[in-house]
Amino acid sequence: MSDITVFEAKSIVTMDLTVPEATHVAVRDGRILAVGGAGCGDAWGHVTHDASLSGTVLMPGLVEGHAHMMAGAIWDYAYTGYHDRIDPEGRMWGGLSSLDAVVARLAEIEATLPPDAPLIGWGFDPIFLPGDRLSRAHLDQVSTTRPIAILFSNFHLMCVNSAALELAQYSAATNVEGVVKGADGAPTGELQEMAAMFPIMRRLGIDFRALSQRESAIRSYAHVATRAGVTTVTDLFSQLEDEDLDVMLAVTGEEDFPLRIVPALAASGDPVALADRALKLKARSTDKVRLGAVKLMTDGSIQGWTARVKWPGYVGGQPNGIWNMAPDQIRSTCAGLHAAGVQMHIHVNGDEASEIVIDALSEAMQVASWPDHGHVLQHGQMMDDAQFRRCADIGISVNLFANHLWYFGDQHVALTIGEDRANRMDAVRSALDAGLTVGIHSDAPVTPMGPLFTAWCAVNRQTMSGKVLGEAQRISVPEALYAITLGAARTLKLDDEIGSISVGKRADFAVLGANPLHVAPEALKDISILGTVLGGKVCLL
Amino acid sequence: MTGLPMTVISGYLGAGKTTLINRLLAADHGLKLMILVNDFGAINIDEGLLASKDEDTIALTNGCVCCTMGADLFLALADALDRSPRPDHLIVEASGVSDPARIANAALAEPDLRYAGIVTVVDGPQYEGLGADPLIGPQVRDQVKKADLIVVTKMTGDAQVPGLAEDARVEVLDADDTRALVDLVFADPSAAPLPSSDMPHPSYIGWSCQVSTGIDLEALREGLTHRPAGLFRVKGSVADPSGAIWDVQVVGHQIEITPATDARDTTLVGIGLSERVSTDEIDHWWSRMSLPA
Repeated sequence: MSDITVFEAKSIVTMDLTVPEATHVAVRDGRILAVGGAGCGDAWGHVTHDASLSGTVLMPGLVEGHAHMMAGAIWDYAYTGYHDRIDPEGRMWGGLSSLDAVVARLAEIEATLPPDAPLIGWGFDPIFLPGDRLSRAHLDQVSTTRPIAILFSNFHLMCVNSAALELAQYSAATNVEGVVKGADGAPTGELQEMAAMFPIMRRLGIDFRALSQRESAIRSYAHVATRAGVTTVTDLFSQLEDEDLDVMLAVTGEEDFPLRIVPALAASGDPVALADRALKLKARSTDKVRLGAVKLMTDGSIQGWTARVKWPGYVGGQPNGIWNMAPDQIRSTCAGLHAAGVQMHIHVNGDEASEIVIDALSEAMQVASWPDHGHVLQHGQMMDDAQFRRCADIGISVNLFANHLWYFGDQHVALTIGEDRANRMDAVRSALDAGLTVGIHSDAPVTPMGPLFTAWCAVNRQTMSGKVLGEAQRISVPEALYAITLGAARTLKLDDEIGSISVGKRADFAVLGANPLHVAPEALKDISILGTVLGGKVCLL
Repeated sequence: MTGLPMTVISGYLGAGKTTLINRLLAADHGLKLMILVNDFGAINIDEGLLASKDEDTIALTNGCVCCTMGADLFLALADALDRSPRPDHLIVEASGVSDPARIANAALAEPDLRYAGIVTVVDGPQYEGLGADPLIGPQVRDQVKKADLIVVTKMTGDAQVPGLAEDARVEVLDADDTRALVDLVFADPSAAPLPSSDMPHPSYIGWSCQVSTGIDLEALREGLTHRPAGLFRVKGSVADPSGAIWDVQVVGHQIEITPATDARDTTLVGIGLSERVSTDEIDHWWSRMSLPA
């Protein structure tokens, strides 16, 4: 008979109605055998007591329903962002609030690099730094010989130094859209959009696919997750080439690898071939890697004015955004994948995009019956009550981007959709009241992974300036905890295995320094994460 | 090294991009084309031309290859550039809603690529309705506005495409005229002699001119902007008044004048549709603008 371990904790928040709070959990074969007091496992045979977590609070392992693998390996590059951020190894990098501070940090890192390596940075966001625009002149202070490229936080822009400009053969004679020029006619170093960034990325070896697929990237991602108390994470928009999947299965298959990953295949091309590929991938699933879902990108982003929004549009009069998939193609892909039994995660930021997708799924369901399809609208930032009610009618779940409220809320009021609609952005209250399955997410690395912070956002709806955005859309702490455990697990169709500390489920726990039900709602984000337990294996930081 | 020419084929869903690609793959142009497509769904290769096929590559006996590019177009572009031997010409099929300029711009930015134009395929009978569609109209019309060459499908006779004239400012070809498309977009205008003797009725005319005097570059750009309609491509080198040599590449409405990397003859060559323009007209235009600076 297998060993039984009984973990003791200060308290255990189970998210299971039958036994909401406990002090002990018995684990056998990586699964939860019993929950209750010290003797909870005794009926099952000899038990070993483990007191290593006795001073901690356990919750179900947190579930991040919308993030990207790149959140780990991006730390191979120098962090140059405005907000404090913790790297996968646990080091805190202070936010940089001036261009001088950016230059100083880069100079410090530059001094540690081997002679032939480029210096690459990430996370820079000019929106938070008033005054001068970052240019090659700043970066030339760091080095005039080593190529330097700083990726902006949205990954659509970068700034490079003179050495990098020269590598790409950019000069005053260059006349290419996206190669920004100054008053002197020479490139400033700022490069906008992929085409202009492409020659730099090729020559400096910046490879987004490698950042998402190589072995070290997967390990880094696990570190990021563990630091956030996350035991199940998505990688929503993965190319999933065969050789990449082999690497992922090998790394995650190691006994001590502390994370379950749910990648979603990036949708492109013919729906029939796409469904076929998704179903073949599904067959390669393991207990640590769950395959078979597909991610669709429909519109752009609200803060980039590329989301497709309904009347009255953008507050500054910007033209409506862009479709990444044509509405016709959204319809045919939804119909094809739904009929083939493939679960979809569908990126919709603007309310016109969510509406078109609800229409498309509704049509698909008139053709093929599949009541527990579990399709999920991802982001759903501008969805209103009527759209939530339609989702409820046809079984669509939502995963809302609560972190946006804090990071971009002030910008949404002033610059994108204006106060009325900003107040009902990421309307978790309305979605819950409509009876939907609701997850909330970080979209890491867009914002840092941290479900307790995400929960704090949904509970407090506070922006960076301290304003509360749509108080009526606040949710309670227990509701927020549900959203980052069972709610998110349901969006992944894994709520039978994870998301609560219930007998029969996997022994995946978040190890916390305080009980989130006992701290003030404003303090949710400050609860320390001590580590995780995955399948009964303790992984403390 | 001269850049790999890259052409973007754009057009809304169902416009006929794949049909055009099928024709280009099979056409008798003697070029080793590499074509990046979204998927193989409608790629249709005659058995006799098929050399090999796997999940993401179709190789033809004429040396052309067709590859799927997955969801990351720029990754596929990088792979195409790393391919050995390099193809003669790279063709990228944009997705039905892509802004083709965002892709083609990479050919202007990347020194190892050369901009060879945006070809936008338009479903003639559908265009006006699509253009008026509140959801998709602006993106469909933008593809036409960004085009260097427009290829119209599904029209009979000489009928004009309703609504196209107000958006299109470039040459319009019929999709059945594959020969003209190949000549204009893929042929090298500097390849002599033009027209070649084995094509008794070429659809294009060739033009060339020795440029001996220093030319003011702004005047040249202005002149090229207002060159005779039908003169689709111009390439070569010129000297500015200081004697510095500049390379000139013109495709459709894209005009590139960049410093030459080595000394060379100051010659310009051009290629145009024989139905639209004559060498006399081009000579006349050139004689009016190529006065000494």
